[in-house]
Amino acid sequence: MNDKLRDFLYERQSLLNVFIAVFTAMIVGTLVIYFMGYDILESYEALYQGAFKGRFNFGGTLERFVPLLLSGLAFAVASKASIFNIGVEGQLYFGAITAAFFGYIIKGVPSLVHIPVTLLLAAAAGGLWAVIPGFLRAKYNVNEVTTTIMLNYVAIFFVGYIVNHPFKNPNVGVPQTPNVQPTARLPKIMLPSRANIGIFIALALLVFFIWLLNKTTFGYKVRAVGFNPFFTDYVGVKSKLIMVLTMFLSGAIGGVLGGVEVLGIHGYVLDNFSPGYGFDGIMVGLLARNNLKALPFVAFFLAALRSGAINMERFTGVPKEVIGVIEAVIILLAAAEVIVEIKKRKSSDKGGVEVG
Amino acid sequence: MGDLGLIINLNLLRATLRMSTPIALAAMGLVITEQAAITNIGIEGIMLIGAFVAVAVSYFTGSWVLGILASVAAGVVVALFMAVIHLKFKADVFVAGIAINLFAIEFTRFLLRNIFNTAGSFYDPNIVPIPSITIPIIDKIPVLGTLLSGFKLTDYLGIILVFVTYFILYKTVWGLRIRFVGIHPLSAETGGVHVNIKKYQAMILSGIFGGLAGAHLSLGYTRQFIENMTNGRGLIGVAAMYFGGVTPINTWFASLFFGFTEALGNNLQTFGLPSQFMLMIPYIATVVAITIGMIRKQKREKNNLL
Amino acid sequence: MYVEKGVKKLAPIVEMKGIYKEFPNVVALNHVDFSLEKGEIHALIGENGAGKSTLMKILYGIYDQDEGTVKINGEEKNISDAREAMRLGIGMVHQEFMLAETMTVLENIILGFEPNKHKLLDYDKAYSEVMDYSEKYGFEIRPNSKVINISVGEAQRVEILKALYRGAEVLILDEPTAVLTPQETEELFKIIRSLKENGKTIIFISHKLDEVLEIADRITVMRKGNKVETLSQNDATKEKLAYLMVGREVFLDFEIEENEPGDRILEVKNLNVFGRRKLSNLKDVSFEIKEGEILGVAGIDGNGQTELVEALTGLRKVESGEIKIRGEEITNKSPLEIRHHGVSHIPEDRNKTGLCKELTIQENLIANKLPDDPYSSKIGIINFKRVKNFAEELIDKFDIRPPKTDVKMQNLSGGNAQKVIVAREVAEDAGLIIASQPTRGIDIGSIEFIRSVLLDERKAGKAVLLVSADLEEILSLSDRIIVMYEGEIQGTLDIEEANENNLGLMMTGGNPDFKGGVTA
Repeated sequence: MNDKLRDFLYERQSLLNVFIAVFTAMIVGTLVIYFMGYDILESYEALYQGAFKGRFNFGGTLERFVPLLLSGLAFAVASKASIFNIGVEGQLYFGAITAAFFGYIIKGVPSLVHIPVTLLLAAAAGGLWAVIPGFLRAKYNVNEVTTTIMLNYVAIFFVGYIVNHPFKNPNVGVPQTPNVQPTARLPKIMLPSRANIGIFIALALLVFFIWLLNKTTFGYKVRAVGFNPFFTDYVGVKSKLIMVLTMFLSGAIGGVLGGVEVLGIHGYVLDNFSPGYGFDGIMVGLLARNNLKALPFVAFFLAALRSGAINMERFTGVPKEVIGVIEAVIILLAAAEVIVEIKKRKSSDKGGVEVG
Repeated sequence: MGDLGLIINLNLLRATLRMSTPIALAAMGLVITEQAAITNIGIEGIMLIGAFVAVAVSYFTGSWVLGILASVAAGVVVALFMAVIHLKFKADVFVAGIAINLFAIEFTRFLLRNIFNTAGSFYDPNIVPIPSITIPIIDKIPVLGTLLSGFKLTDYLGIILVFVTYFILYKTVWGLRIRFVGIHPLSAETGGVHVNIKKYQAMILSGIFGGLAGAHLSLGYTRQFIENMTNGRGLIGVAAMYFGGVTPINTWFASLFFGFTEALGNNLQTFGLPSQFMLMIPYIATVVAITIGMIRKQKREKNNLL
Repeated sequence: MYVEKGVKKLAPIVEMKGIYKEFPNVVALNHVDFSLEKGEIHALIGENGAGKSTLMKILYGIYDQDEGTVKINGEEKNISDAREAMRLGIGMVHQEFMLAETMTVLENIILGFEPNKHKLLDYDKAYSEVMDYSEKYGFEIRPNSKVINISVGEAQRVEILKALYRGAEVLILDEPTAVLTPQETEELFKIIRSLKENGKTIIFISHKLDEVLEIADRITVMRKGNKVETLSQNDATKEKLAYLMVGREVFLDFEIEENEPGDRILEVKNLNVFGRRKLSNLKDVSFEIKEGEILGVAGIDGNGQTELVEALTGLRKVESGEIKIRGEEITNKSPLEIRHHGVSHIPEDRNKTGLCKELTIQENLIANKLPDDPYSSKIGIINFKRVKNFAEELIDKFDIRPPKTDVKMQNLSGGNAQKVIVAREVAEDAGLIIASQPTRGIDIGSIEFIRSVLLDERKAGKAVLLVSADLEEILSLSDRIIVMYEGEIQGTLDIEEANENNLGLMMTGGNPDFKGGVTA
């Protein structure tokens, strides 16, 4: 390989890896469909139509796009500071229950006030919940992966208690909260699908965080802390504080995600309502290599797959679980990072070699 | 206080042991890998795939023994797969574990749909469960009989394996080396111990334990496969492992304690009382235990300089 | 093997010939010969970076040599790793002990060679075997204590015993006394002599000349990757060894102008700080620096210089004492506050601390300025145009290559990376510049450039604290020199009275009042 090509590929190696992961997974999926005896072209056509054709189908894709994007964003933002936030699931539960509460309790205000206030409170709830593992990591170096996993369960049980007991809708048999006020509901944008303005909120957040991380001193500090906390301590940045704040922001995005799901899709919180949105974010983040600008593409791709799978099953009989397998293969490949390794050209100086 | 008597009774203790078995089995596998410096949160996925394979094989062959063996074999395969991702391809151990867990959920869902053409859960009278063991004589003694007799074979096996794990780790050459691999890999390496090979071996053992735990869940604890039926039990195993200080015996006590909170939580629920606070105890306890551990470690490092 | 005058002359137990080893941009060993006779205690001395550890790591199989041969008992061997070295009877006790703290002494010793019955550990047999060794060589250990509970001296004995248990005939001790108290050192020497009596061969790495003269049969001196000389103990004196170790160098020439120091900038009084190791704890360190003055801090690495710099810059907690900048107390303030008091810092570890290799040149140049105007707005939005102009100015002034603002630091050579750090810190226009090992491991051109920058700063009336293990650098830049040894100031010298000999002697624990020259 000549040097220029190698440099070019080295710089884009993450993109290349994503492409290869997706491509390999699609091949696996195709083989599965083939060996199960279905027509491949027909299946993919049904998948495509299910994802994009008509307001209902395309709306379904958009509806799935929002939680994928937001949880991916939450995960990626924490990753910028080298924090592994596996706790988005718990954070979104706190955001959801907060949104359900204030969406219900605040009355007589216009949507223009009700929605932002409710979502901000949801963000705060998710953020504060994330501060616990963030603080433990910054102050005592407690591994945040373990704590966020554990705290997810605490959050889910806590919300389960709220939904089952103090804030249960007495008119319904199943454990769920009362419906939020109509003023708190996010307007739908593509009836008859459930797609709503949550998509604009999600995209706005994405743009905001891209701006925050790249154009502000705070974003600079977050990235520098993520790369090298010794360096940031030395130049006078309070690295630990930056870590906790980043975790707050990441959790806040999780909180907004919970809020958007409640105000946009359901209108209430059901016990155990999340099908693992928070964990989807890990996959989105990993696939996008935590590159914020790549997040919407990855999220949209996965959303289309999931949305199209239902149609594919209905019209061709290919079980929608095939998509699950494709996703599983993608995440395994994404996890194993070294799908292809373009070696960097030997640099002239490695520095730091201990000679003694 | 009549209600209290209904909630806390002999059956609760029985349930405690039953609930603790899958946790303890998973946790023993976790203790071994953790001693070799691998936090194997993929145990959750290993269990889930094991649970599915156990049900499938038991259903098709009519043998619970083959079910367990197949489940163990599947567990080993998945564990090795994860080991390769982590050790060979240098994936972060948590990323690898999470990937395995997500993979397991999707994969078993797919198989459930494809093999049994059903979604959600699979139950069939042809699934042959793991038998219960009645201990003669003790069975007839009133309290003792309830407490000790009539559990599934794997419940007893779980307890025995706690002591086997202890024995392996502390009484054998292999165990000594594994412990060095975790604490001080460099000294192990200079002592002629191949660190990576030891880590693979530890992962194989955790695959065996995970497979057993999965088989117990679907063929012993219940007699069916349900989507995502592990439902975090592997992760409670992680919690028990940390709470028990990564030693087999203490981890078993932690598993019993977490089994107790689960059993009590279920009892409370039956009476319409909130069970959630009971059920979150294992997770809070773990966060607290890890934090205290880290604070102590920091203090110790400081004191070493004095 | 040949017979001469009735004495059977055996081949050396270890013979290394023409060993050459290069690390990127550095020749670590330049065709070094080293020969070890069976049953001797052979000291290997030299400054940091002289190559003694590298040479031993090659013998112990941790590094591969680029050229040269290693013979063990006359047979050429390729020692691929530590296991192979062990098999050939070579054991090494590292400075950092290879012991698992939470395990017992016994377990640490037997690891890899465990007495067992059918793969089950036989602790009784292990215990009696280990006790046999400890009686034979006369050292006390408690096999059943956990390593975490034993003293450093005992841990070292455990390491030695471990090597013997693994069948070592040649024992490499890497600066074994660096971590010991004088009493423990005496104890260690007894053990070393008893090992010798039992036919073992010892390589003793050190830079403490008194100890070397006390224990060694032969002494090999290394300097900058070269073997200087091997002397027998009878031919060696302290002065001679110090001279051989430090050597005379061709100086890079600088015109140093006369400069009358101005007001006092930094004042350090009775500073006490806990260090990374016991020997680097700072003990009652006091000194001061004035405007227009470069104060050199000489010393062998690990004698408290790192801790001193960290304490001054807010990166390490001060236990007692005070640090004042222009009369204002800055003790235990945060790094940011200390920077605001006019202290800038070129850290010793360029890659770990001094820069962020994933960020661009521009981002590294601006790192200490972003909270301030005029590079960002009040709410923290970066003004990229100003940042870029600023970065371009510095890149031009400091001749940083490649001259592009948006190149990531990892693509820069060591010298250019160091220039980025120096540029950033000098541009801060602080009253005091703390420069720690500012030219370590970089090319001659950059060395010269950075040194002239420091001299320019001195001329501009800045105070400079120059910490360097490189005596040539200290001697060519400083106005005054303090020498650190085991966390204390061993002595202070004016530049006129300082030379390699008296500095070298003080760095190795020699008499601080000694000021005259020495003829080798």
